[in-house]
Amino acid sequence: MLVSLNWLKEFVDIKMSPYDFGEALTMSGTKVETLTVVSENVANILTGKITKIEPHPNADKLTVCTVDMGADERVIVTAAKNVFEGAIVSVAVDGAVLANGTKIGTNDFRGLLSHGMFCSIEELGMNTDLFSKEIMEGILILPENTPLGMDARELLWLNDVIIDVELTANRSDCQSIIGIAREASATLDLPMAGVTTYDTVESTNQIADYLSVRIEDPACPRYVAKMLKVKKIEASPLWMQIKLQNSGVRPINNIVDVTNYVMLELGQPLHAFDYDSLQSQEIVVKTTTNKKIVTLDDKERDIDETMLMITNGKVPVAIAGVMGGENSEITEKTSLIVLESANFNKGSVRLTAKKLGLRTEASSRFEKGVDPELAGMAALRATQLLLEIGACEVIEGLIDVYPSVASLKKVNLDINWFNTFVGISLTIDEIAKMLTRLFFNVEKSSDYVLEVEVPSYRLDIDLKEDLAEEVVRIFGYDMIPGTIMGGETMVGGKTPVQKFEDALKNILVGQGYYETLTSSFTSEKRLHGLNSQLDENLVPLINPLGEENSIMRHTLIGHQLEVISLNYNRKNPFGRFFELSNTYRKNTKSGELPIEEQKLAISSYGGEDYFELKGVVELLLEQSGIKYPDFIAGGSDFLHPGRKAEIFVDGIILGEIGEIHPVVVKNYELPKRCYICQLSFKALFDCSSLDNKFTDLPKFPASNRDLAILLKADIPAAAVETIIRKNSGDILESIDLFDVYTGAQIPDGYKSLAYALNFRHHGRTLNDNDINPVIEQILGELKRSFDAQLRE
Amino acid sequence: MELELKQLRDRCLADLNAVEELKTLDNVRIKYLGKKGELTIALKGMGKLSNEERPIIGKLANEIREEIENNISAQKHALEQKEIEAQIKEESIDVSLPGKKHQAGNLHPLTTTVNELKEIFLGMGFSIAEGPEIEWAKYNFDYLNVPQDHSARDLQDTFYYEDDIVLRTQTSPVQVRVMQEQKPPLRIISPGRVYRCDEIDATHSPVFHQMEGLVIDKGITMSDLKGTLDLFAKKLFGEQTKTKFRPHQFYFTEPSAEMDVTCFKCGGVGCKVCSNTGWIEILGCGMVHPNVLRFCGIDPDEYSGFAFGMGLDRITMIKYGINDLRLLFENDLRFLAQFK
Ligand SMILES: [Zn+2]
Repeated sequence: MLVSLNWLKEFVDIKMSPYDFGEALTMSGTKVETLTVVSENVANILTGKITKIEPHPNADKLTVCTVDMGADERVIVTAAKNVFEGAIVSVAVDGAVLANGTKIGTNDFRGLLSHGMFCSIEELGMNTDLFSKEIMEGILILPENTPLGMDARELLWLNDVIIDVELTANRSDCQSIIGIAREASATLDLPMAGVTTYDTVESTNQIADYLSVRIEDPACPRYVAKMLKVKKIEASPLWMQIKLQNSGVRPINNIVDVTNYVMLELGQPLHAFDYDSLQSQEIVVKTTTNKKIVTLDDKERDIDETMLMITNGKVPVAIAGVMGGENSEITEKTSLIVLESANFNKGSVRLTAKKLGLRTEASSRFEKGVDPELAGMAALRATQLLLEIGACEVIEGLIDVYPSVASLKKVNLDINWFNTFVGISLTIDEIAKMLTRLFFNVEKSSDYVLEVEVPSYRLDIDLKEDLAEEVVRIFGYDMIPGTIMGGETMVGGKTPVQKFEDALKNILVGQGYYETLTSSFTSEKRLHGLNSQLDENLVPLINPLGEENSIMRHTLIGHQLEVISLNYNRKNPFGRFFELSNTYRKNTKSGELPIEEQKLAISSYGGEDYFELKGVVELLLEQSGIKYPDFIAGGSDFLHPGRKAEIFVDGIILGEIGEIHPVVVKNYELPKRCYICQLSFKALFDCSSLDNKFTDLPKFPASNRDLAILLKADIPAAAVETIIRKNSGDILESIDLFDVYTGAQIPDGYKSLAYALNFRHHGRTLNDNDINPVIEQILGELKRSFDAQLRE
Repeated sequence: MELELKQLRDRCLADLNAVEELKTLDNVRIKYLGKKGELTIALKGMGKLSNEERPIIGKLANEIREEIENNISAQKHALEQKEIEAQIKEESIDVSLPGKKHQAGNLHPLTTTVNELKEIFLGMGFSIAEGPEIEWAKYNFDYLNVPQDHSARDLQDTFYYEDDIVLRTQTSPVQVRVMQEQKPPLRIISPGRVYRCDEIDATHSPVFHQMEGLVIDKGITMSDLKGTLDLFAKKLFGEQTKTKFRPHQFYFTEPSAEMDVTCFKCGGVGCKVCSNTGWIEILGCGMVHPNVLRFCGIDPDEYSGFAFGMGLDRITMIKYGINDLRLLFENDLRFLAQFK
């Protein structure tokens, strides 16, 4: 919200620098984002009246103006077309500086000296967005009664500082000049001026002859209406226009400007209807079955029966709290106006504005909540201003429909509780003083309890904790000491699962893998690339950001492939990646949240093969204390049918590993060979055994035997290893497959597997009599199972 | 005989001198001192000598044997020395040639940041709590005191899976779960993934990360909040870091604050990182709202506590000077590999 410091100073006598003021406001809870001077540069631009205009003897497009500057007279040569005799303009005299920094001196224009120049809106540094094109392009013409020789910086508030404040959602009462002024007054401990309202004692209730108001919906807690006779619709006075401009609002005419002025000043949105075009003597606030309304901005809006309308009893004339209707708009012909100062329920306005996609200054104020008490005061303030600027005459009487007037809230504050809660020690009087600065009515109900009456506009204060914040922010958050928590000593620390996560990541990093971070979203389209049937337990979102983010992923595979694809297509020659992240699956039990399962994906491309990745996975398993994982051919359809395996430990599936299927390679624009493994983190953790215990170092030597076994090529090595293990009793210490050979001397369709077996007994030295029978048993079993033979 | 022995010695020493390789040295030893060696054979002829000559020649023979043995061992030493020198000479390398490549990967910078934050809080006795990302709306909003008609609940702001199930917009639901399941005292942090309906750009992402913290105990004060978070900031950004607490508003806490830290880049003078303010906004915090305590079955008259929350993506970006949030989620190796 934009706040004019000059306007603010009309309420609170702020003497400190704008910067210090901004800091003080921020530290008491009204966050100041920026401070901007309207026009930093402008200097020596004074008002003057054009008394005579003559043609330039040597140039058709130039005119020569004599200007009365109050103290003196000067000649200005200009090319401007909108100047006329009698016009009051702003004149940059010798030595003046324009908004863009240009210095102005005396210049020769085709043989005539010009002692300065006339200024436009832009040259003065005013907000060009708020003016029509015609005004913007010409010289700014000032009102007739403007004093001459006056500094434009003062007159046009070019020295004003615009404060951009960020308000928190709970402080709807700060959405106005007086709201910020109240904060300034409390923060700086300075008195605050009030506003002048229309308070003439009226003798009649003339308004009743014209209008009655009925509320048929509780979403309108109060409706105040005042009627006025229009004297003349014209531009509002300069001071009013400037305040609107410096608040970012475009001046329109005296009636509309007053409604906007009061909204900015007090925070109460107002609306003015043209009485004659209401074509009715009543205003009824209700929902309607009408389908359309044309709003003030000339747009036709679709409305429905949930939206609160201001009607003339039959048709809507305004969307309550959002925008007026074109059918009752103020025009040049308007002779009677109905000034609406009403209160609308924030939820109702919010939903209506949202449905219409129409946010206005009014709706955004109502959405945050407006104090119903404000409606009456705002109507009288607007009346006062309309009279003061000579726009209207009053019609006596006021309509105020206010079915349930809320009483003021009272909250008790126990100062002992307060001091303990905050960790400071203030006296009851100090606390009472700070609350009083914030316009709370405070009474001592005992030596240590304050009874605090909350102003009607403080919709955010209900509890003692709310009051605590009020006191502390005025006392100063920075005045609270920092202490180290007392209480019970707490050990804290990571759980075994959390430690296991760290350990896995560290192993992978040590092996040259980079951790990735990918989004949780995927889509049917993206999943189709994986050459697989769609899982039936997907978790789709009701309101996704586009199709490609419409489902919560149930696998990390797609995202890992996208990472590989991105890197490959950016010419990174190789890559090794991993990610430990959540996947999501529908819960088949109703009334429960979807299932979230952490998975670990490891992938690589460029210079790697299946066995390198498998080696890393084996290392991970080994480091997790998993002794004998089984890699059994098989797995999902996104993997190469001849190069994929499922990983089991004691019959429990951990995941799968393999090369990416050529079709998927194409779909994802991947390098020809990429490898991936996905493991269930939970299964991995459940199978892990991390409690290492020391075993004595061996005292007796080991015996090594090499076995080369000839067998059919399609028998998996893992099956051979299983047989070797099963038939070795407890003396087999290790198996190492050191050669797989096909080729010369090996028949077609066969292979040779060469194993180094290491035998050891913990209690004695082994000899041939121990080992030979074992070897024979192994060979016998291999022959029976696979028709395998020892290769000589 | 005496002459014979002396000649034998001279021959032997000459032979020894001529040896150039260690492996032939032994041949010389065998030739003279072996079982059938010249000296051994010569000594066998001692029997023929007279009683007067025998001790003299015997003494001489022993002296010669000793001399030869000394010479052999000296020659052995010399040859070994020579061999090592030769080996060293042959094996010298250009030590300035590059080492063999061992690729280590690294953690994602976000993880590194999270780890750093975790360590700080673990050191203060906190535990790490986790909870579902797809969460009941009541845990994400109602129990956190978010008003029923608040726009955060809108479809424009929050992803919905079902009418009452959302993608959590903050990790605070974890705090609710912990408060409902465990008795105070509590000290937890909950880092994790959160979601909001923001289109992705340089500073926004529909998927991002937060870490929230919660302390509940008897007699926890606002000055404890300040002290704890000030200590945290000093541990994260360095001992010289100062903090500033500004009043703010959150539904979850009352009173609430935002904490700024002095810019770690410029030390508070003002620079691009801190938009010339000297301060960087780092987290939101406050005293846990009594409604929230009550919703979670904790008596606010008996217990009090504070909570805080911070954006991990933002802190990561600030810490490493990353200027575009999208880089965190893109996973280009040239990016990832910068965070060893
Ligand atoms: Zn800085």
